[in-house]
Order: sequence, then structure tokens, then C-alpha cells
Amino acid sequence: MTPLIAPLAAGTSPGYLLQQALNGVFNGSIYALFAVGYTLVFGVLDILNLAHSAVFMAGAVIALVLMLNFGLPFWAALVLAIALCALAGYLLDRVAFRPLRHRGAPHISSMITSIGLALVIVSIAENRFGGNSQRFPVDRVPGGELHFGGLSISTVDIGILVVTIALMIGLAFMIERTAPGRAIRAVAENPRAAALMGIDVDRVIALTLVLSSALGGLAGILYGLAQSDVSPYIGRDQVELKGLAVIVVGGMGSITGAVVAGYLLGLVEVAVLVFVGSNARSGVAFAVLFLSLVLLPAGLFGRRAGRTT
Amino acid sequence: MIRITRQLSIGVFGAAALLAGCGGSTSSGGTASGGTNYTGKTLQLAAVISLNGPGNVYGLQQKTGIQLAVDEINGHGGVNGAQIAMDIQDDGSLQQQGAQVFQTEIQEKKVVGIIGPTLSNTAIAAHPVANNLKTPVIGPSNTGNGIVGQCPYACDYIFRDSLGEATAIPDNVKTAVQKDHPKSAVLFYANDDKFSSDGAKIFQQAFKDNAVTVPDGGVLQFSKTESSFKEYVTTALSKKADIWAISSLGGIPAKVMIEARKQGYTGPFLGGNGFNTYQVSQQAGDQGKGAQSGSGYFVGTDTPTNKAFVDAYKAKFKDTQGKPQLPDQIAAQAYTAVKIFAEAAKAANLTFTDLAGDRTKLRDALAKVSVDTPLGQFSFSSQHDVHQKVYVVAMDGKGGFSLVNTYEAQ
Repeated sequence: MTPLIAPLAAGTSPGYLLQQALNGVFNGSIYALFAVGYTLVFGVLDILNLAHSAVFMAGAVIALVLMLNFGLPFWAALVLAIALCALAGYLLDRVAFRPLRHRGAPHISSMITSIGLALVIVSIAENRFGGNSQRFPVDRVPGGELHFGGLSISTVDIGILVVTIALMIGLAFMIERTAPGRAIRAVAENPRAAALMGIDVDRVIALTLVLSSALGGLAGILYGLAQSDVSPYIGRDQVELKGLAVIVVGGMGSITGAVVAGYLLGLVEVAVLVFVGSNARSGVAFAVLFLSLVLLPAGLFGRRAGRTT
Repeated sequence: MIRITRQLSIGVFGAAALLAGCGGSTSSGGTASGGTNYTGKTLQLAAVISLNGPGNVYGLQQKTGIQLAVDEINGHGGVNGAQIAMDIQDDGSLQQQGAQVFQTEIQEKKVVGIIGPTLSNTAIAAHPVANNLKTPVIGPSNTGNGIVGQCPYACDYIFRDSLGEATAIPDNVKTAVQKDHPKSAVLFYANDDKFSSDGAKIFQQAFKDNAVTVPDGGVLQFSKTESSFKEYVTTALSKKADIWAISSLGGIPAKVMIEARKQGYTGPFLGGNGFNTYQVSQQAGDQGKGAQSGSGYFVGTDTPTNKAFVDAYKAKFKDTQGKPQLPDQIAAQAYTAVKIFAEAAKAANLTFTDLAGDRTKLRDALAKVSVDTPLGQFSFSSQHDVHQKVYVVAMDGKGGFSLVNTYEAQ
């Protein structure tokens, strides 16, 4: 009978396991970075913005186009692409969410609208950029590998790890300690009460979408750098489902939960590859999502079942 | 894979060579000696290819190849005087959409033949539709197993001008064994894609036939939507194999190669048709240098027909910076598919009134086509598969390919 857990191959070294653990952490950084923006919108609007994966993709594609077609240096392309994604977030609210919100449409309508917009954004990218996978020009972007003790670590991966942690801390600080953050929390808790308190709810929601989309764009660019892969499909095909699993496991709307669950998923995926085998690897995100919903419906950091409206 | 259209007479061949010398391209236009005159008629064909979705990396190349061939043929008098009307439609890289568009083209647009679809995964849904409706099809890039010949469904109207992995991979492995003498290999493949899974089986058999062992855990499966290959590469490295094979499509082969070089793998890479586009070679860059694959086409082939094709392609298509584009295997095979249809139509004595009869006549004529093409002299085998030269090529590290070896048609 085949054991469920495969024994480690003879000669499997601690170095190998450490390298795999690092791989899990670095993969987790990408999931976390993507999921932070995803969960931020859910926390405020109580809806899934399924166009987030398209904005993630757009960040990478726009940055690459700015570098290749307009000759911009990487850092300028990065800043401009993030700004354009932020603008896309604002437009997303004006086009997809705000009209429905004002009409009192059910949340499912907004979710469907966001799917439609995602398809439109991906189609535009396909038509303008093509379906090819491309990479950022190697000689014009930061990069390089560190090799020590048999380990191989990409400097980009280290950068992403630092950015992810810094963003989590920064966002948590902003949400907890600043006026816009307090407004976001108020709207998330009860938009009607927030409006009665003088908070411009539409403005706060637009701000949230702008922030979320800027983060999504940044995540896409960093993904493109780390994976040497920029194409119209990187959001939809490669991170959307995992991002969804991450925000459910982390607790819908929880930024800390998204980050912790991102790393958790990255590590679990690697563990499955190492201890079970590659044939089981691709179902991990689904399995984690399923188990989380069954065993821990509110997620690791979930606090509320719903929002008062 | 690439197919070459057949010239029906020495006179036509001579005209083609003359055109090539003048900077034109191969021609299937004009009236073949002895062919029925179709002047004033329209030869209605369709190309159902992936203009959206993951297969669009190949579909857009196919579109350009098809456009070039149609323009050349119509510009040189058509097919025995008939103009080709090519309806190019998108299969969306999806099985269901591919099958639906095939049905629409056959039943509503009354096409006499179809080129497509782009992906083998779509072909297994679309080709049965065409076969049931007795409409001939040329698969321009369907290299998986069971596409022609021994199919899991009736496929007597299905042809392909795409070199099957079952031919390309063994020749590629043979070349690698002669060159690098590997004793062990690891294999990466996407387990949710027919093309990739078929390629993996063929690689495993080819390694076995050449006494190359695959260690326990050395076959690494992943989804075609996998985002990161770090952990797969780390596992592969731990197997200490002499050579790595990758059977997958789109951006995955390049991602695996880049990550492998980052983690310190210095050995050679082998791949299938998924390697054979400039986009993959460009994405892999220096890290892909030497990555070797079997191909139905090599752009530098020094024949008048290929040179004319390359010149015409470069003159017609430019990249975003305005530089002339080179045709890749995918474009060449799509170009050739049009030429094959044109040559077959010339000899088929079509009526243009009996559509069902014309489709069967065209199918019968396709089986007999023999034509000089950018792929070399081309004809179909009795199984409707390619009968042509195999080119073993390697990525040059600069976005192109160099020729490593050739094998004559078996």
C-alpha cells in the first residue's frame, strides 16, 4: 500500500528542506501581497472585487510597456504604473460599484460587475500586449542571486518579503491610527452610521479602491519581476484563486490574516510537494480553502459574520 | 508543425522559383495545368485559431502566416482562378468555443475546409465535429497524440501539418544523447494539458529507449496555471540529473529555465513544441541558451521556397518597434496549411455547387498532395500525419534559434 506521506528520499539534506522552506516563504509573499488589496476592499465594501486580479496584471503589463515602448527606467515605470492602477481603482468604483451602491443593488450584482470589468481589462491587455509571456529586461531591473551554504536566494524575493511585511505594518498603522484609516473602519463597520457622523462614504470607498488597486498593481509588478513572467493571464490564471483562498483562510477583511495566510499557503504548498509529491501540489489551494471553510469558517483572524448596514 | 504546399506542375514550380528570386514568396496561385478552371468562384475556407486565451501566443503567429498565404495566392490568380475567402475566427483557447465555431463555420458559413484549432486540447473537441460533418481539417499546431490516424474518434477527414511530438521528441532526445551523453533526467510537465501530458509520456519512453534513467520523484507534475516553480526546481536539483526535460506550453518552459539557472543548474534543457516560438526563446533569454527541441521548421533553411517565405513575411509584418518580424514554426505551419488546401483544391475538380461532394473531393485530394514548402517537401502519410524533415533546434540566448541537427522524413 502506498503511504499517504512519502518518506523523504535518502540523502535529503537539511539544506534541501531549508531551501524549500525559503521557497514557501517567498511564494507566500506574493500571495500575501496580492491578497492584502483584495481583503481591504472586502473589509470595507463587503463584496469581492474580482477585478483585483486584472488590476494586478495591469500593473505588471503597464510597467513593462512603459519600459519597453517608452524607454522609462524601472523605478519610474513602477511609480507610474502604480499611479495608473490607483486611477483604475477610482474608475472601478465609479463604473462598477458606486452606481450599484446608490441603487441599493445586492452585493452579488457588484461582484458580477467586477467580473465583467476584469474580462474587459484582460481583453484590452490581450489586444494591446498580446498573449505572450514576457519578462522585464534583465539589464534594466534589479536582480541577482545570493548563494551561500548551498542555498540560493533571489534579491528580488528578499525585496518582496520586506515590502510585504512593511506594507502590512504600514497599512495596519494607517487603518488604526490615522484619520482616513478611522474613516475606513467606520464605513466598514456601518456605512449609514458613518455617513450620519459626517463621513463622506463615497469618498472613503473610492479611497479604499484606490489604495487596494495601487497595492494590486505593485503586487503585479513584483510578481512579474520575481517570476520573470508578465502576461495578460498572470492575475486570472495564477493568483486569483490562491488569493481568494488566502483571504478566506486569513479571515475576510483582515489584513494581518491575509498576510499570515499567504505565508501559510506558500509553506503548505511546498510541504505537500516535498512530503506527498508533485501530483498532489496543484490541489492544495482548494484543499486549504475547503478545510478552512469547514473547520474555521471565520478564518484565522475573522471577527465578524457580517456588517450592519 | 509546418506543412508545405505541393506544386502541381514543373511549370508552377518554376514560376514559384522565379517569384522567389524576385523577392516574392512561394505561390499556389494560378491555374495548374490540367486543373478545372474555377474563375469567378470563391473557395470558402475558415481558420479557427486561438486569438484570445493562453493559446494566443501561437494563434497570433498563425493569423499572420495565414494572411500572408491567402494574400499571395489571391494576388497570383487564386486557386485555378478562384479567390480564397478565409474566415478567421477565435477559438478562445477553449474546447467548447472551438467546437461551436467549427460547427458554425461548417453549417452556416458553408466552408469547404478548416484550418485549426491552435491547441491539441481544443482539437479533441473540435475535430470530431468536423469529422461528423465530413469537412476536411488541417491541424496547424496540434502535436499531441491521437490527433490523426489512431484517434479516439473517427478522424478520416482530419489532417495535420504539425510535426507530432511522437516524432519530434525521440529525435530530439537522440540528438541530446549523442551530444551530451546524459545518464539521468528529470521531467517537468503540466498534468492538466493534453499536449504537455502526451509530451511527457513520449519523453519518458524516449529516455527509456536511450538508456537514460529518470530517478524516483524525478517526474514533476504541475498545473498549467502554476505561478511559481521555485520548489519544483529545488526538488529537481536534488535529483542531480544530467539533463532536464520540460513538456509544457506558454510561459512555463522559460520560467522553469530561468529559475533553474538562478538556483545553479548548469546542464542542458530539452523540450517539445512548446519551445518553438520566438516569444519563449525571448522570455528565456540567456538562461535558455542551448535549450533544445525538435521542430517542423527552421527559419534559416536554405531553400528558395523558405527564403521567399521568410522575405515575404519580413516585408509584411513588423514588430512594435517597426523591425521586420521573422516567421516561427507556428506561422510557417499555418502558412503551409493554406498552401496545402490551395494545392489540393486545384486538383480536386470542385463543383462549387455540391458542397458535401466538394468537401469529400478536397479530403481525397489532400491525401495525395505533395508540395515544396518552407518546411521542405511535404506530403501526408497514410495516417494523414506529416511526412517531412525534422529540425532539431536550440535557443540561441538572444530570442532566436540555431540549427543543431536534421532528420530526413521517415
